[in-house]
Amino acid sequence: MTIASTPLSLTVNGAAVGPVDVPDDLSLLDFLHEYVNLTGSRFGCGQGICHACVVILDHDDGVSEEIRTCITGAHYFNGRSIRTIEGHAKKREDGAIELTEVQQAFIENFAFQCGYCTPGFVTATTVLIERLRKTPVARADLETTITAALDHHICRCTGYVRYYQAVRGLIERTPGLLEA
Amino acid sequence: MTDLSRRDLLKSFVAAGVTIRLGALATVAEAAPSQGALVDEGWWDAARGVRHRVDAIAKVTGGKVFSRDYRARDLPGWPKTQSHAFLIRATKADRLFEDIDLSSLGAELQPDRIVRAEDLAKDGIHVPDPDYYGDVFLLPRGETPYLLGQPVALVIYHDFARYDAAKRRIKFDDTVVRYGRETGPRTLKHYAASRYVRIEGETPDADDRHSSVLNGVINGTFDGDKPVWSDTGGGLAVAAGIADGIAKADAGSLVLKRDYFIPFYDASAMETDNGNVWYDEKARALGLVFATQSPHRDALVIARMLKGTRFDLDKLDARFGDTVGYGTKDTAVFPLYCVLAGLYGDGRPVRLANDRFEQFQSGLKAHAFTMKKTLIVDRETSKFKAITADFTCHGGGRSNVTPNVARGSMRGIQSVYYVPKSDISVIALASRAVEAGSTRGYGCLQGICAAEMLVDEAAEELGLDPIEFRQRNAFKLGQKAPQGDIWGGTPRNEEMLARAKAHPLWKERAARKRAFEVENPGKRYGVGFAIAIKNYGGGPAQSNGTTSLSLSASGKLSMRSVVHEMGTGSATSQSAMVANVLGRPPEENIFSVIDWPELPLYSKPAANPQEQAKLEADPRYTRNFAPPMSASNSVHAFNFATEQAARALLRFSLWPAAQAIWAQSSPSVRFEDIQVTAAGIAAPGQAPLPLARLAAKAHELGLVTAVSLHTFRRGLRAAQADFDIPGVGVLRIDADALAVRYGDGASAERKALMRSGGFHFIERANLAYPPPTGERPRTETYSSKAILIELVVNTTTGDIELLSHHSIMDCGRAIVPQLVSGQIQGGVAMGIGFALHEYLPPFEDGPGDGTWNWNRYHLPHASEIAVWRQTEEILAPISDREPPKGIAEVTTIAAMPACANAIAHALGKRFYEFPISREKILKAVS
Repeated sequence: MTIASTPLSLTVNGAAVGPVDVPDDLSLLDFLHEYVNLTGSRFGCGQGICHACVVILDHDDGVSEEIRTCITGAHYFNGRSIRTIEGHAKKREDGAIELTEVQQAFIENFAFQCGYCTPGFVTATTVLIERLRKTPVARADLETTITAALDHHICRCTGYVRYYQAVRGLIERTPGLLEA
Repeated sequence: MTDLSRRDLLKSFVAAGVTIRLGALATVAEAAPSQGALVDEGWWDAARGVRHRVDAIAKVTGGKVFSRDYRARDLPGWPKTQSHAFLIRATKADRLFEDIDLSSLGAELQPDRIVRAEDLAKDGIHVPDPDYYGDVFLLPRGETPYLLGQPVALVIYHDFARYDAAKRRIKFDDTVVRYGRETGPRTLKHYAASRYVRIEGETPDADDRHSSVLNGVINGTFDGDKPVWSDTGGGLAVAAGIADGIAKADAGSLVLKRDYFIPFYDASAMETDNGNVWYDEKARALGLVFATQSPHRDALVIARMLKGTRFDLDKLDARFGDTVGYGTKDTAVFPLYCVLAGLYGDGRPVRLANDRFEQFQSGLKAHAFTMKKTLIVDRETSKFKAITADFTCHGGGRSNVTPNVARGSMRGIQSVYYVPKSDISVIALASRAVEAGSTRGYGCLQGICAAEMLVDEAAEELGLDPIEFRQRNAFKLGQKAPQGDIWGGTPRNEEMLARAKAHPLWKERAARKRAFEVENPGKRYGVGFAIAIKNYGGGPAQSNGTTSLSLSASGKLSMRSVVHEMGTGSATSQSAMVANVLGRPPEENIFSVIDWPELPLYSKPAANPQEQAKLEADPRYTRNFAPPMSASNSVHAFNFATEQAARALLRFSLWPAAQAIWAQSSPSVRFEDIQVTAAGIAAPGQAPLPLARLAAKAHELGLVTAVSLHTFRRGLRAAQADFDIPGVGVLRIDADALAVRYGDGASAERKALMRSGGFHFIERANLAYPPPTGERPRTETYSSKAILIELVVNTTTGDIELLSHHSIMDCGRAIVPQLVSGQIQGGVAMGIGFALHEYLPPFEDGPGDGTWNWNRYHLPHASEIAVWRQTEEILAPISDREPPKGIAEVTTIAAMPACANAIAHALGKRFYEFPISREKILKAVS
């Protein structure tokens, strides 16, 4: 069988992956699921609507970008570096898991229910926090800033409230994210 | 549907020498490369109680949680290569299916295996329960499809790259399925017709003069699409009297006749239907991983489906991930297609996983309803005089649970009000639409929607405050519903109405409307109210639970439970319930347990009361072993079993162990004096005894150290029986089956009793089940929810902006308040989506055509549901012993009519069809 394929190399969660022959029109989401066994980025719609599939694309200039993997080809990421949901928390040598501040805020606030959309919300919120570290926002604009960053993410279980409250609380208590 | 009893399954498998293994994926996850265990250890601490969900770490780190996450390589003992399958579906249902044509795939992308109807016939595979699941899995050539989206072939690829390429190439290709001559749609057998007529007695509390409980439900057959009623109890004559009264109503009565329509909805659970199945022909073994809310029932059906086919089994090993479905994964047909894929995988594991287009095309839908209602109100007293309803429930092309959903709509007909006379009927029609099934609300949603909109309009017609009007007609303790049922427990609808009426959103709505509209020309302000109830825990299939708790000699507490997590937090609340009773939660939790060798129970239907009594005399009989998971039954059914198991462990194990330790220093401690804390079991004047010390003593003395029990409830009453527990004595407990395990120091004689899965199954005596369905009058348990919604309608664009909303919830005693709050918030969002955005056409341009996704079916986003401006109040329980109530479904229902009523307040125009879209708004204001 000959499906047009090309070698793909990229960095996933700090580790080099590839070169591996990958069909030219394979999505990154399918690459993560079927070739790398990273299934935490969820398939929701396949149309780029629900954002359950997003990962972070780390640009060379230090800017992090949320990017939809169900509508973006795997080869777009050749030579690039991404963070998937599996790469956020750290696993210590004793097996304990160190969550990021975003993940910790979500679990403490009972933010999710089925959890299918949770990787997308963790990803989008992480990108938002990293942006605010560079460009703080006025407190008066906090709610609109959060809504603008997360509104494209669909959740069917929770009504979003506990996600949004968790993000607001995290930003408010983290020094440097709000304008002085 | 015809159910296969547990005993039948065991018998058939024993006869065939089959071993069965069923359970959660949690144990598999430990062997898989996931980032965290499904149950983490830091979720609870003594000082703060529940800190987060037990599954939080796995879910927030992207661990393998769902069935969809698992491939063959993740499953111990499976081959490591994964095959993939998809179904080819007919998108026309008015002409003959001739064949499939895969020439557009070219030679390179042809499937490795094509499965057609004739393959299934040759191998002896037929649909189990065709009246429930539909007549055929794959449509034979030369037949007209039963429904849009019906599968005609299953194709399998042994590598992902070709599967992916082939699926994308033919996804929207209309030439793949070839059709012959037009036949018109099939004439399908309709599903159900029921009618309930009631006339109250001398007073609302007295026995009814006529009701379906007393005189029987009027059932119907069909002449075309019209019902033909078969009445033996005189109900039709009573109904004619009610109709005559309406026709002759004078000016002293308000007669309001309205028609309502609610379309098919897609629950849009984010995890689509999926499964992964490996058939090992040599070992005659079937391994399954699939997403379901009804693992027990699905496993029974699969076992029955394969019996006597070419694929006879010696072993069935089914695993289930956490899932989400809002009802749509409850006894659905999709897992059976997954089995077909595995059977024809040529020894390879095959994965069948819907994409979103396929999920719209085949996933169970919420039923569409057309509803005609008439309400008669005495203008002088503002009291309801009578209500009539004529509902049509659209079930699509397979029955599924449609008859039950149709009857469920009757429970919502009167919302929370008392009506002295009623004539309500529902027919459930079959059509070529995509099948509808169990979905959040289960008919009540549609029935109450119509009721709350009708009541609101009646108040307007009478010139009354809509909440005041509701208060005058509110249901009171002991009064009967249109079916003749009585509300079990304490209805708090009057309290909720009073709270809503006093809320600033309601009190100030007129002033706020004036002020807003002056400030915002072109925008109209409105506040709407609605209240809803939803029954739970009523049927024998929904009200039972099984839990096992065991203590090791070192004090490790472990739990096994039938609970299957589907997002609502059931697993967390189970563990929290143990902590409520024993002072700390289990260190080890195993959920989704279906195999209970220590409780060798069976169930089967009884033909009459005499046979029922004979069955109940057998200690191994139970009315039902394991229910499907739904938001409304989990806390009511499963938490009850867990609470009883924890109490039993306390009474049978920890208490006698503590007595033995205290005997020397304080021989007078009574059971009622002990206090359970996180530090252990304490008594007056005694330091707490840690669980570890008690466990060691229990094992040393050979006391009971593990308890497994099965509970059955109907409404608020539980099955009770006497159990003679060695070392404890005869106790009457809320369970119909009990097994115990003795500690390490038990005598050989006592250990010899542990013959049932390592437990001693103790035969019960003097069993008393709650009265059966035929009880008169019958009680129903309900939870209730009210909501005020504040919104703005833009008369230029037709857009609706939610400004705020406030919910009032009666959930009984909340086990984990954060989970209750989350259910409220999520339910409201779904209700807003149903009310304002979500719509599916039923037929050729609907989801069966395979082109629907969330680009066309708009789910509410955070900015559309007042995410920052919503509040809620959860009523304090009436006592600290009040049982928790089943919720979640009810949280969705009230939001829909509240939106409609708010729009009516805003525009002065009423809408009778959902969704109330931008286009409908613009048409109304033009």
